[in-house]
Amino acid sequence: MRIFQRSGLAYFYLAPSALIFLIFTVIPAIFVLYISLFNWNFLNMKMSTYVGLGNYHVLFSSSEFWHSLLISFYFVVGTVPTGLFLALGIALLLIQPFKGRGFVRLAVFSPYVTPVVATSIVWIWIFNPQFGLFNGILHFLGMPQIGWLQSPHWAMPGVMMYSLWHNLGFNVIIFLAGLTTISTELGEAARVDGANRWQEFWQVTWPLLSPTSLFVLIISTVGALQAFTQFFTMTQGGPLMATTTTSYLLYQMAFIFYHTGYASAIAVVLFVIIAGLSLLQMRVSQSRVHYE
Amino acid sequence: MTRKNGHKSTMIKLSLSLAGVSLVASGCGQQTPSSSASGSGSVSKTTTISFMEVMSSGKLQTAMKSLTSQFEKSHPNIQVNLVPEPSYSVLETKIEAVVAAGDPPTMAQAYESWANGYAQAGAIIPLTSFVSGKDGISASAQKDFWPQLWQDQFLPDGKMWMLPFNKSDFVMYYNQNMLTAQHLSVPTTWTQFSEVCQHLTNTAQNHWGVSIDPGSASGASNGTYLYVALIRAFGGHLMQNGKPDFNSPQAQQAMQYLLHLYQSGALKLGTNYPGQTALGAGHSGFDLSTIASYYYNEQAIGGKFKMGVAALPQGPAGQGNVMQGTNLVIFSKATPTQQQAAWTFMKWLTEPQQTAYWASHTGYLPVRQSAIPLMSSYYATHPYQKIAADALAEAKPTPPYVGMDQAIAALGNALQAVLTDHTPIPVALSKAQTQAEAALSGQPS
Repeated sequence: MRIFQRSGLAYFYLAPSALIFLIFTVIPAIFVLYISLFNWNFLNMKMSTYVGLGNYHVLFSSSEFWHSLLISFYFVVGTVPTGLFLALGIALLLIQPFKGRGFVRLAVFSPYVTPVVATSIVWIWIFNPQFGLFNGILHFLGMPQIGWLQSPHWAMPGVMMYSLWHNLGFNVIIFLAGLTTISTELGEAARVDGANRWQEFWQVTWPLLSPTSLFVLIISTVGALQAFTQFFTMTQGGPLMATTTTSYLLYQMAFIFYHTGYASAIAVVLFVIIAGLSLLQMRVSQSRVHYE
Repeated sequence: MTRKNGHKSTMIKLSLSLAGVSLVASGCGQQTPSSSASGSGSVSKTTTISFMEVMSSGKLQTAMKSLTSQFEKSHPNIQVNLVPEPSYSVLETKIEAVVAAGDPPTMAQAYESWANGYAQAGAIIPLTSFVSGKDGISASAQKDFWPQLWQDQFLPDGKMWMLPFNKSDFVMYYNQNMLTAQHLSVPTTWTQFSEVCQHLTNTAQNHWGVSIDPGSASGASNGTYLYVALIRAFGGHLMQNGKPDFNSPQAQQAMQYLLHLYQSGALKLGTNYPGQTALGAGHSGFDLSTIASYYYNEQAIGGKFKMGVAALPQGPAGQGNVMQGTNLVIFSKATPTQQQAAWTFMKWLTEPQQTAYWASHTGYLPVRQSAIPLMSSYYATHPYQKIAADALAEAKPTPPYVGMDQAIAALGNALQAVLTDHTPIPVALSKAQTQAEAALSGQPS
């Protein structure tokens, strides 16, 4: 009875946020699933027609959709491993005591708290082929100019560079937190046994850091698959759909061309992919992750 | 921010638009008639109408407010509530949200393709009965509208659904100092334009002819419409017999023309008004954009040199100019009294006196031919406006089909593919043709 009372109280405290979550996330998500079965006329819902799995059929036979998945995975492959190891490297440096460490930590973290829309617009100018900083540097070094966001080949690397810059701080902080939880005794013991710095890192730190790495890996992959804002401001999916990720295609179909049912089908498929991939990462990593 | 902002925010946006954001709707689109529709049909008490529009800043806002209060003075039983939105994309989203939520304004600005979507969903009403009604537009007044503009108010179903409002078309802006320094005269044909651009192009000085935004698969830009103008100037069409005509010999010829300019370094591509930026910075000799850009171009130049304005160059089939800007529509949810009041306001706005006032205070073009003589003193001090107004006679609007946005975006994509990715012209245009046909038949891809 007492347990029931206590858990009842817990539910009571949880209710406000649960209600918000239910109304603004869960119900709309279910509604999206429902809409995806219709040729949806959102201006006049009564004119919507049920098409069953028709939208999914069109989706899976659309070269645009498969192309967008490739682009999404290109973005994941280009940002997740680089972001993870770069962050780990920087965290290993920032865990060492040195003068001005607090300031450097702040500097590394600060891009993460900047609004994506504002800073990506600044980066658009950095990438500007005629007036931008990067081409100015290349010009100074006597190297050929790059079209950056206007080039189908360089647009994605450009957005990746921005995304790495923006998100690095978050991963660094997580790794720093992970590193501080590792007991220094283990490293000392390894050194007493004659391990050099690399051996200490590879045999002691890296295995003990694996829960942190797994967390960063999953969060970064999910984040990369969902990334939208920088594509929206920097490239609008172009040029030549070179940056049309699945998230961007979903936006384009829903809010530019108003194929609402079809866009909902994309949302459902993207959800399944992200959920599946996260599960897979957890399964695969389970045997290799060491929890202290 | 990115992590949380990405898919989740799209989902939220989706659900917001779909579930009908009653909060937003009740906050901005409300109109409560202070009179009922009952009675003899004449408007005796005050009727309040709401007008969703984008004239939200600067001289556009001042002119809009001034015209509205002039109207309210001459029509004391009608009150107009302006509902300004910051941009066309916001206007589009807002209209769709309030229509979905069942609480639209009485009237709004709308592009032709939007209007077609609203018409098909039963969200707006045809104006045919108003035009021929007691307070209608006489046959002679109908002829006073620019003919292309009057035609533009009809949707493919043959009914009239709109009245014209803020119209503009393309002109050619140029750096007078740059042309004078090289002893070049202002081009009047596309052939001359190409010659002058190539003459101006100089890598060492970082000078070139013109910059455009070609548009992309997610939306047409000024450069896409410029390409449409070129296709027409070469004798081609955007649509022929209700079907896209993207792969015609003329479309290929127009593309070849741009490719040649691009390969010679005289044409550069960019986004976010690149023509204006390059002209303003003194790098390019020209900017090809609408007359509505005049003020912004002058700002970008900031007095560094003298900017000239001339008509868009001509091709073998004339200027092929593209009409830009929106029309006005009335929503079906409004009461009959409100609809009648909205019609009165709309019609009043298009009358020569008012459209002349509107044009001379905003830089948009008058919708009636008889407004031109009323604006003679304005044209004496603003000669460039007359160039744009004259071009209206042959400027064509974008055909009002649902899916047209996506179809023209396919053309922007083709432009990028040819210029930046070495795709052969027929391949790119035939792909665009297929995509446009799918888009116009309502297919997502």
